[in-house]
Amino acid sequence: MIDILDQIENQAVKTPRRICYTHRQELLTFGLLKKCSDALACWLINRFGDDHSPVIVHGHMQPMMLVLFLACAKSGHAYIPADQSIPSERIRMITEGAKTKLIFSAAPKQLPETNATEVIAFGQLDQIIIQNEGVPARSYEVKNEDTFYIIYTSGSTGRPKGVQISRRALTSFTEWMQHDFGLEEGLTFMNQAPYSFDLSVMDLYPSLTTGGTLWAVDKQMIANPKELFTLLAQSEINIWTSTPSFAEMCLMEPSFSRTMLPHVQKFLFCGETLPLSVASRLKQRFPEAEIINTYGPTETTVAVTKVSITQKMINCKSPFPVGRCKPDCRIYILGEDGVPKKDGQKGEIVICGPSVGSGYLNDPEKTRASFDTLNEMLAYHTHDLGIMCEGMLYYFGRIDHQIKLHGFRMELEEIEHALSSCRYVKYAIVTPIKRGDRYDHLAAVVVAGKHPFDSDYAFSAVLRKALSSVLPSYMIPRKFIYRRSLPMTANGKIDRGAPLKEVSR
Amino acid sequence: MKEVKDSFKQKVYSILEDACDCNEIKSNPNIRLFDEGLLDSFSTISLIVAFEQELGISVPISDFNRDEWATPAMIITQLAKLQ
Repeated sequence: MIDILDQIENQAVKTPRRICYTHRQELLTFGLLKKCSDALACWLINRFGDDHSPVIVHGHMQPMMLVLFLACAKSGHAYIPADQSIPSERIRMITEGAKTKLIFSAAPKQLPETNATEVIAFGQLDQIIIQNEGVPARSYEVKNEDTFYIIYTSGSTGRPKGVQISRRALTSFTEWMQHDFGLEEGLTFMNQAPYSFDLSVMDLYPSLTTGGTLWAVDKQMIANPKELFTLLAQSEINIWTSTPSFAEMCLMEPSFSRTMLPHVQKFLFCGETLPLSVASRLKQRFPEAEIINTYGPTETTVAVTKVSITQKMINCKSPFPVGRCKPDCRIYILGEDGVPKKDGQKGEIVICGPSVGSGYLNDPEKTRASFDTLNEMLAYHTHDLGIMCEGMLYYFGRIDHQIKLHGFRMELEEIEHALSSCRYVKYAIVTPIKRGDRYDHLAAVVVAGKHPFDSDYAFSAVLRKALSSVLPSYMIPRKFIYRRSLPMTANGKIDRGAPLKEVSR
Repeated sequence: MKEVKDSFKQKVYSILEDACDCNEIKSNPNIRLFDEGLLDSFSTISLIVAFEQELGISVPISDFNRDEWATPAMIITQLAKLQ
């Protein structure tokens, strides 16, 4: 088994001046990554000793975030990446749920007011680093079965839940990427996803452990395509990692091709279904690059299956498979009775093996509902529907109300919960609307109480604003439809199917 | 400045109402679509496709920025320039 922290250390010894991270003008070398993360780990050990409570790292693409991730790992703390786009109310829920005592923040003013948690601004870190130079004792490191990182994801009850990934699971994932994805030493990896989204892990650790350079895309670049493409043209990216939605946006630009990015070797996709049209246009624009589709929930460490998309698959025009399982794991397709299905039969995808994480933080009930053991392996019941054909997995959507919208995972019930908590709202249901065969945006059907607004439009603006204080922007419905009542099913529950038919007509 | 025909305006409004899935665009031509959450990076794609298909105007995505294409009125002006 590889040792990811050792591998990163070795890069710092071998090539201390090599750039490991670039975000616009900001650069970080392997040497500095080691020196600063060592010093901050020493400070954390001094400060917290054997108290290994998780630490929040709040920022957006700053190189200091990487330094802090490693400092946490070296001092025995799990880190919780929190992107600056997360509303402060949601960060408060995470802070309380995770019982954190410390937040490192690039933007302390955006944080909720709290007395229980200490906040250290990135601006204060230089001083701490200078005062704590040294090498932390390895006995403090996060151990194999300890949690390495915690990623918060949408929860159906209205509170986000923290997915715990152990060092063992992260190691297994990273080793698979190193061996089975044909990654050479010293490549440049693009990182498009905020660190609070585990797609970022797909490039972060494979890049750091192989002496690569991470090239970070930030929110402003995505909002301003002109700037994005100018910077991309200078990036010398070799490994492209993104959601299919992001690649689809880039394909809108005619000059997005191997002329702009002559060094791209591979496109790695995760986070949502890869549409045929995206793969076929990429093949035309980048004929020499390999396109790799992957699949896996956050709970089993980024991805557990992969497949290289061939021209033949594109030509046959049926949905792509999501791939074959990584060698140290097993995937079973189970029926509702828990009995394994035959090859070619649809059932729930159950993932077993060392990639399976350690459940949800401080939530034994939810953990028990989805995690157990199967054939003496750790197992995660995904609630995803799939078919296995001769070792190749095909994905067929969800069993419950969780959806992926442009790669972002969300529980519709969480949005409904937030909406129903708004003033003037009696009931609400939220429905994803498709364009073609994919989800495009969300629509909310609202039953309002008495309200002072003179138009639906004004009411919708107020609701949007209220939601944006608790939910990330990608979870806010674009359309609000007002009804006197919502249809009920025979057993008295709101009938989700009926309004869906109406709004997606 | 070139005068913008009313029929052109109406067409753009209806494309925007489709892309934003909101039928109050016409009555609010100065609403800031991105700030209000009616448009985002992903709906920009379908919007640009619609300009191409329905108006025959191709907007390179690299020309599209949120400051100059912020409101329905500004979008009409930008499109008229490219016509």
